[in-house]
Amino acid sequence: MGSSFSDMQDVFPAGNGGNSPLSSKASRIVAFHSTKRWKAHFDSCKNSTKLMVIYFTASWCGPCRSMEPALDEFAAKYTDDVEFVKIDVDELMGVSDEFGVHAMPTFILIKQGKEVDKVVGAKKDELEKKILKHRAQAHVQSY
Amino acid sequence: MALSGFEGFEKRLELHFSGDNPRPVIGIGLRQLDVKAIEEVLDAVQCNVVSAVGNPFLDAYVLSESSLFVYPTKIIIKTCGTTQLLKSIPPLLFHARQLGLLLCGCRYTRGNFIFPKAQPFPHTSFREEVVYLEQRLPSNLCHRKASIMPSKANTKMSSSVHSWHVYSACDEHRMELETFSNVFTIEVCMTELDRVLARKFYRRPGDGNSGDVAGKEMTELTGIGNINPRALVCDFAFDPCGYSMNGIDGAKYSTIHVTPEHGFSYASFECVGFIDDRHNIGEVLKEVVQVFRPAAVSVSTTCVDQDQEVWTYVAGALEPLGLSCRSSLMDEFPAAGNISFQTFTTHRK
Repeated sequence: MGSSFSDMQDVFPAGNGGNSPLSSKASRIVAFHSTKRWKAHFDSCKNSTKLMVIYFTASWCGPCRSMEPALDEFAAKYTDDVEFVKIDVDELMGVSDEFGVHAMPTFILIKQGKEVDKVVGAKKDELEKKILKHRAQAHVQSY
Repeated sequence: MALSGFEGFEKRLELHFSGDNPRPVIGIGLRQLDVKAIEEVLDAVQCNVVSAVGNPFLDAYVLSESSLFVYPTKIIIKTCGTTQLLKSIPPLLFHARQLGLLLCGCRYTRGNFIFPKAQPFPHTSFREEVVYLEQRLPSNLCHRKASIMPSKANTKMSSSVHSWHVYSACDEHRMELETFSNVFTIEVCMTELDRVLARKFYRRPGDGNSGDVAGKEMTELTGIGNINPRALVCDFAFDPCGYSMNGIDGAKYSTIHVTPEHGFSYASFECVGFIDDRHNIGEVLKEVVQVFRPAAVSVSTTCVDQDQEVWTYVAGALEPLGLSCRSSLMDEFPAAGNISFQTFTTHRK
């Protein structure tokens, strides 16, 4: 963590973080790079009943990379009533501390500004199950 | 004793790397291995990733047949069943080289297979494994040793006769051992698990849960979650039975794997610890053994620093639980330092 890793991103450009292929692919996962913009966005979501999944990631974490395809799939599949947000723990250290993130990937599920559930680790099935559980509570959904 | 069944006893491989000369800065090293590289390595072994998590110190993967731990300059793969673990070596060396990393140390260990005839190449015998290692390891690993640490047993259950197979190799710089002198590793193998306790590792039929969720339940119900409450646990329950977990706590990992079927029941526990905390290892071992109440246990400790005597805490922890020490051996190995091997059995038979 810290400066040694961001230095390494120049030598080994394959790392994730702000310049990941996800952002450039016009994906449905929105990455935040500034605490100010994140806070503004988080506050604006407090009135919405839409489920928000915050994906905490780190460029030095292998398991995060293994989870990316599943995340892209979920973002596309559940686009109507779930918002997917991505935060790099080295970029927004304060935010990840605030949410108690110690290991990656961590997924925090938020509804109306409150944490309703959490998944720690690249656990595709558990995450999908929790997304389905929490998004369905506001209204009846037909498949 | 079953004629055939799932082989719980694992094969374990630990590889240490150092940066090659013009690029001494390693950074996150092996943790850069991308998904494709890891899949290629695991394909060679014939297993796949079931769940994974990472923290600032390491990445930990639960596999279909055990575990994988990736540190910047160290990788540990432990697989059971009929996996061909040693076949991971060529792709690992290749991908590490792409990252500017060279192999400087290797340690391969395993217990005694319950079903040795079911093992494929190159695991049909220790000799075959040694020949394979000798051929695949680069020549800069000039100090090498292979040895079987036996045990005496006076029981008819062959799965109680635990012995320990070790192969290790290191380069002339002895992998800058000072880097690793503050840690020790403990590998515990348990057989003939208590039948009632083993049943907790069977899925409830038709529960509709995913393996992750069922695994979490097992961790709680069996008391495994209490062994280190601080650890972040990645657990998985296999269908219809079987269980795997990795726990990470800072730079330390622990891992448990269970094959609960009667006739070839097996459970393993492994952890890495800091020398300064070695006096806690007795409590940990006690808790682990009480989860399974096995009739036979073997414990191997690996420690670079000879004076630390991690192994002395083992008997003191297990004997009060009704397990008698049947054998106790110690030997020195390149790359690993001191390896001890002790076996214990109950008075049941």
